[in-house]
Amino acid sequence: MSNNIACTHCHLEFNESVMIKDGEHYFCCNGCQGVFHLLSDEGLDSFYEKAGNVKLTPPTSQYEDSSNFNAEAFYDKFVKINSDGFSEVSLIIEGIHCSACVWLNEKALHKMDGIIEANINFTNNKATIVWADNIVKLSQIIDMIRAIGYNAFPYDASIQEAHANKERKDYYLRMSVAIFASMNIMWIAVAQYAGYFSGMTQDMKTILNIAEGVLATPVLFYSGWIFFRGAYYGLKTKTVNMDILVATGASLTYIYSIYITIIEEGEAYFDSVSMIITFVLIGKFLEVLSKKNAADTLDIIGKNLPNEVKIVKDNSIISCKLGDVIIGDIVVVSSGEKVLLDGEITKGSGSFDESNLTGESEPIYKDLGGTVISGTVSIDADIHLRATKDFGHSTLSNLVQLLETAINKKPKIEQLANKLSEYFSSVVLALSFLTFFVWWLWPHDFEVSFMVGISVIVIACPCALALATPVATLVGLSLGAKRGILFKEAAQLETMAKVDTLVLDKTGTLTVGKPEVIKEHIYADFDRELLYSLVKLSNHPVALGIKEYITKGQENISDTIFDEFKQIPASGISVVHQRLEILGGNLKLMNDNHIEIDFKSDNTLFYFAINKKVFAIYELSDKVKDGAKDLVINLSKRGIETIMLTGDNERVAKKVSAEIGIKNLYYEQTPQDKSEFISTLHNSGKTVVMVGDGVNDILALARADIGIVMGSGSDIAIDVGDVVLLNDSLNSLEDAFKISRTTYGLIKQNLGISLVYNAITIPLAMAGFVIPLVAAISMSVSSLLVVGNSMRINLKWNKN
Amino acid sequence: MDNWVIAMMLGASIFLGAIALFAFLWAIKNGQFDDEEKFLNAAKFDGEDELNDALNQERKKEELKKRYRPE
Repeated sequence: MSNNIACTHCHLEFNESVMIKDGEHYFCCNGCQGVFHLLSDEGLDSFYEKAGNVKLTPPTSQYEDSSNFNAEAFYDKFVKINSDGFSEVSLIIEGIHCSACVWLNEKALHKMDGIIEANINFTNNKATIVWADNIVKLSQIIDMIRAIGYNAFPYDASIQEAHANKERKDYYLRMSVAIFASMNIMWIAVAQYAGYFSGMTQDMKTILNIAEGVLATPVLFYSGWIFFRGAYYGLKTKTVNMDILVATGASLTYIYSIYITIIEEGEAYFDSVSMIITFVLIGKFLEVLSKKNAADTLDIIGKNLPNEVKIVKDNSIISCKLGDVIIGDIVVVSSGEKVLLDGEITKGSGSFDESNLTGESEPIYKDLGGTVISGTVSIDADIHLRATKDFGHSTLSNLVQLLETAINKKPKIEQLANKLSEYFSSVVLALSFLTFFVWWLWPHDFEVSFMVGISVIVIACPCALALATPVATLVGLSLGAKRGILFKEAAQLETMAKVDTLVLDKTGTLTVGKPEVIKEHIYADFDRELLYSLVKLSNHPVALGIKEYITKGQENISDTIFDEFKQIPASGISVVHQRLEILGGNLKLMNDNHIEIDFKSDNTLFYFAINKKVFAIYELSDKVKDGAKDLVINLSKRGIETIMLTGDNERVAKKVSAEIGIKNLYYEQTPQDKSEFISTLHNSGKTVVMVGDGVNDILALARADIGIVMGSGSDIAIDVGDVVLLNDSLNSLEDAFKISRTTYGLIKQNLGISLVYNAITIPLAMAGFVIPLVAAISMSVSSLLVVGNSMRINLKWNKN
Repeated sequence: MDNWVIAMMLGASIFLGAIALFAFLWAIKNGQFDDEEKFLNAAKFDGEDELNDALNQERKKEELKKRYRPE
């Protein structure tokens, strides 16, 4: 380890003997050397000083030709023309590790001719670049990013995402104004209330009123505009919502206060105006903040699909757009690639991983003439495929379409607070009008009756009601986040509390998802290094499981280099080492080599033989995760029914379900079957949580009321899911249920508090006992009660 | 104490506060808080060179804007 040297560019450490020496600098590869010289030439070498010892990704030189970025179709899709007539593109930049990387990219781009603006967001690695297209082309920009050791690919900055960000920013602005004004009004109000008790001249009062009025005006008309808009839409659809209550309450109070200021008599309520709007706006903002950003969901699917495939035409291999492939074209698929088109194998053979589509945990061997479904991944097969469907009709694109419909069909359970606020608003408005008329007819001055009527609205301030749900869900979200449970949307906490059915996927959810050695049978002593070197040659899950088993607890296993080795598809590996014939694989391999074995087990078996004699047998099985059994028992105590859905075969499914104790079990389910099953449950009135991890679960995840995804699951599944369990543990699944029920309980308590509070104060206001000071204090107290109650739960949970 | 003293002090302080508020609103609108990481790291890369670069970039932008005629 001692003579390892860090590369000057990427800071990765390698042995001195393999490094490229260049003056006083050492480089791990030509790429790093190239970037270093480029940066020195451009005068950007202060990058290294800024980056410190951050380890970077060494640049690769194997990029596709960038000229296709200049294609018209590409410009159409990704490049926008902004208001000044410049071109604008959104890129995701790969390889950003530190703020110095951001600095370098921006700097390098700014140095280019024709670049107007390059702005890179460090948090999400997204960049916006504006340039003059007649001076520089997009391909040159991307070449530059690649030249300094990063890679960039464009993404469709979807309208929705931009919209969500804009909405958030809009709330920031409105809230800043509201909070600024309210805080200042409070100070002035302190003076006013002091004067109320100790006496103050009317002139002084008017000065304070005017100052408050000036501050309250932007709050009502700028910050409060959201409520006027909401009230307008509410009236249009003939529903009485909270916005109407806030808008009428605040604007009536405002008008009345102006009147008071002008006639120089009585008490103004400007502080109430700004406080109502500020509090309710904060509540709304919390809701907006915790809303799921559904925008990226479909985006990521597109990103995961390459848009080009290699096809054979006139005896040469050419790249072709995915959409241009027609039935009968011969598509080339190399090992490790995803198959994008359905077809039949015309050349070659190998194993395919179909777990994406079927959930089948073991790779499937396919030979000449075998049909391959799009969406499967070739493990070791280099094949030619004759397309039997074009991309538009392929299984993969069907899946994407089904997903879109599933996302749209997701049921929305109405939130308790929304239901309640409608009644609440109607009742309060009605009571306020009633009070006004009763006071007026019971001969009082118009002013007095009007003020009492308004005081009903002010005191029945919806602040506490508006804060009840957001504050509670915020507590729930933070409780979850501390335990590795990510709720993407606050409303899901409430939905999840109402769930009565839990549907679980098997592979990767209830089980670990890969075979592990559970038993080792040794028949004769042998060198472990031989077995290690043998299984290292394969990427088959069984080989990986054995490799892991051998390396467990042993750090240094040296590699043996074999004289000869051969992979036998769907059987195993055969190698020759110092004239020993070594075999490792399944029963078929043994039988083919005429080795007699008498060993029976339900598990997957791996045989290891040297010179036709079996030395060891390993039993492998996909292990059930810790806590699976407890989960089922505990949830059934809570009245939640558990169902297991799997794409795997009957034998494996039954074995796992018996071990865990799940009685309801459905096997050999395709992704569509799973999603249909969820719909059937919906139709019978159930609220369903689906837990899964793979692409084969996404339809069901999208269709279920709540889709929970394991953090190790596929990117698409994580994006479609509503809740992500970052630590993959089933214990946190149970925690998620607990947290959601606690939160829902909290919401109910908070709503209860604010209603009881109003039940006491509204009659007081109707009787005319409320003075401005009481109104202002009561508003704060009710909000504080709700917030305090939520904090109480937070503390209680954190103690445990 | 005369009333107008209070009135003037209130007016002046609200005015000063409003200036700060508008500066803050401008910063939000300008996207200065969009990227919290970069916002915090900006202090590290703040120097004469950076200011000059920013100025050059601004000039380049203006000049391009004048010249640029999209087809």
